[in-house]
Amino acid sequence: MTNERRIGRVAAHGVMITLSVLAIFPVYWMIQSSFRAENEIFSGGLFPSAPTFQNYLHVLSAMPILRILGNTVVMAGATTLAQVATGVLAAWALVRWRFPGGALARSLIALSWLVPFQVVMIPNYVLAARLGLLDSVAGLVIPNAAAAFAVLVLYNAMRGFPREVVEAARMDGAGSLRILLEVVLPNLRAPLASVSILCFISAWNEYFWPLLLIRRMENSVVQIGLQFFMTQEGNDWGPLMAAATLASLPILALYLVLQRQVVDSFMKSGIR
Amino acid sequence: MIRRHFFALALSAAFLAGGFLASAQAQMAQSVDEPVTITFYNYNLASAGLGREATLDLIARFEAANPNVHVEPIAAPSNEVLSRVQADMVAGIEVDVAQLVFRDLIYAANELGAQPLEDLAGDELAAHAAGFVPNGLALGEVDGKTYGLAYVFSTPVMFMNRDLFREAGLDPDQSPRTWEEVKVAGKQIAEKTGKHGFFPGAYGPIDGTFVYQAIVMSNGGGKVRDGNTLTFADKDQADAVVMLRDLMDSGAHARIDVGAHMDTFASGNLGMFLFTSAVLSRFETAAEGKFEVGLAPMPAFGDKPTAPTNSGSAIFMFSQDPVKQRAAWELMKFLTSDEAYSVITSKIGYLPLRLGTLDDPRYLKDWYAANPKFKANVAQLDRLTPNVAFPGPNYRQVENMMKEAVTEAVFGDGDPREVLKKAQDLGQSLMPQD
Repeated sequence: MTNERRIGRVAAHGVMITLSVLAIFPVYWMIQSSFRAENEIFSGGLFPSAPTFQNYLHVLSAMPILRILGNTVVMAGATTLAQVATGVLAAWALVRWRFPGGALARSLIALSWLVPFQVVMIPNYVLAARLGLLDSVAGLVIPNAAAAFAVLVLYNAMRGFPREVVEAARMDGAGSLRILLEVVLPNLRAPLASVSILCFISAWNEYFWPLLLIRRMENSVVQIGLQFFMTQEGNDWGPLMAAATLASLPILALYLVLQRQVVDSFMKSGIR
Repeated sequence: MIRRHFFALALSAAFLAGGFLASAQAQMAQSVDEPVTITFYNYNLASAGLGREATLDLIARFEAANPNVHVEPIAAPSNEVLSRVQADMVAGIEVDVAQLVFRDLIYAANELGAQPLEDLAGDELAAHAAGFVPNGLALGEVDGKTYGLAYVFSTPVMFMNRDLFREAGLDPDQSPRTWEEVKVAGKQIAEKTGKHGFFPGAYGPIDGTFVYQAIVMSNGGGKVRDGNTLTFADKDQADAVVMLRDLMDSGAHARIDVGAHMDTFASGNLGMFLFTSAVLSRFETAAEGKFEVGLAPMPAFGDKPTAPTNSGSAIFMFSQDPVKQRAAWELMKFLTSDEAYSVITSKIGYLPLRLGTLDDPRYLKDWYAANPKFKANVAQLDRLTPNVAFPGPNYRQVENMMKEAVTEAVFGDGDPREVLKKAQDLGQSLMPQD
């Protein structure tokens, strides 16, 4: 290796290390702040001078954080399942059959992606109230059970699937549903995984709809729960950082377990 | 922020389209003889701390004393509680009692259908208000009728970092009484300690309109509007902002992120901070072992009396059913009773609407003796001046235009009077026509 190439590699690594530190530092600051006492929260230094679990104990006593995390996992998981299921079926219908209005339907689905949720929030709220879905996880999931994003990504993935394979399966006597489940979907693991991950993250970060729908702290989700430490009279930084750390753990654990699959799926599906 | 405004706008449009206005008044029932459930929209419940605990405690005490009434608490953050009330009204859900901030007063009365308490409770209201602070009932009045009963509120007080005063060679026991003295002390703190001198919590995303209005009205009593005419750029009102700009130009006024004022003081980097006393316990916890927190009344313009304006919120009744109205009224009376203020003041830190509780050994006498800093706030209550809300459906936009103009006038380079005048002319087009 020449000196020039060596210097180039060192420089590239230097840039990557710097960017990594910049990306990780806020997470580190959140975690170390969660171990600081209230009168130490504004102190400088990279480490708390007297680490304490007081903020975690406060979070656990002041709010049902574990139940809130459980609500969030159920809500995000159910929303993801529903969005992927409706996305797969809608995309398959649009790819598999040519029917009058098909292009229009696809355009309308794409167009609905551009409509801000706030526009349909009030009609959704009125409907949810009439159906008795206020203050419930079902109320959080049902209005978000279909996502234009999932339909369009899966439509593009299925459109690129070899038509010959589908035709061969048909000639072997397989019906449409069987072709979808046994031929197409097993070969679309990468886009399915990336759509699932993005749907899960989007549902996990949902703020406005739970803010409107949920009426009690114990039925809340984590994004609303964090706000309980942010008031007009100031922010409780220590407990807020402890709650944020606890809220990050499930996602972090999921990522650590599925790290390779996550990276692979994004690389293969081309979704950034 | 834009998304939040959009959220509020969408709700307002849906609400106005639905034509939700006050319906015909019914006679409030004399008593609650059968079990009834009422809803209580509350922003203190949307916090994981003393505000929530105190509110749940109050509701439990009320239910114990009124076994026929069940209160269904509904939590929403203070900047979202109005939207929640509107959304529920649009959805046909009964709203009985709601805690709304004072800026929503006129909107709640004229557009949301809040009940005028004189029409429902009459003599009962007068008897209940007998122990209120002077002007206490006026805080929730619109056109001579009481729509909101002042609930958790405070006035601007000057927080002092007594250690920074000492470090700057100032006597912390001689708190600045006038804006001239604030200027001198602020400059000295900034120059001698390298920290920030003074900051008023009057700008930025955290609601500080009451601080700004208190400063303005302390300069001769002029208000930010006169009827439907905006007046925040009139001479006295603009002079108050020019004074803040002068503090800024002199170096006495901190040039910091307007959303980080509380954290700047709590971290020990600010000498003087004018804001609600409701944050006192938070500051004392943050300052423990670091610096000593002092409290003083808000500064005056020379010899002119100050006009401490109320922060916080009032409780409004929206019930239409006569029995629910009685239940709601009983809840409102309880929440503004001696017993309730013993909890509200000692646990959350807001002012008691009933000053008699401070001398009564059954209520706050012992607590008051143990918390002498509170005296700075109580001392200025005889001059309590109602916060001025804006009328019409665009009231929030008008208030935001005013707040942004004040921030630009103090922090910017332009002529503060011209900045205010320009905003006033623009804002006037959003005000209701006479």
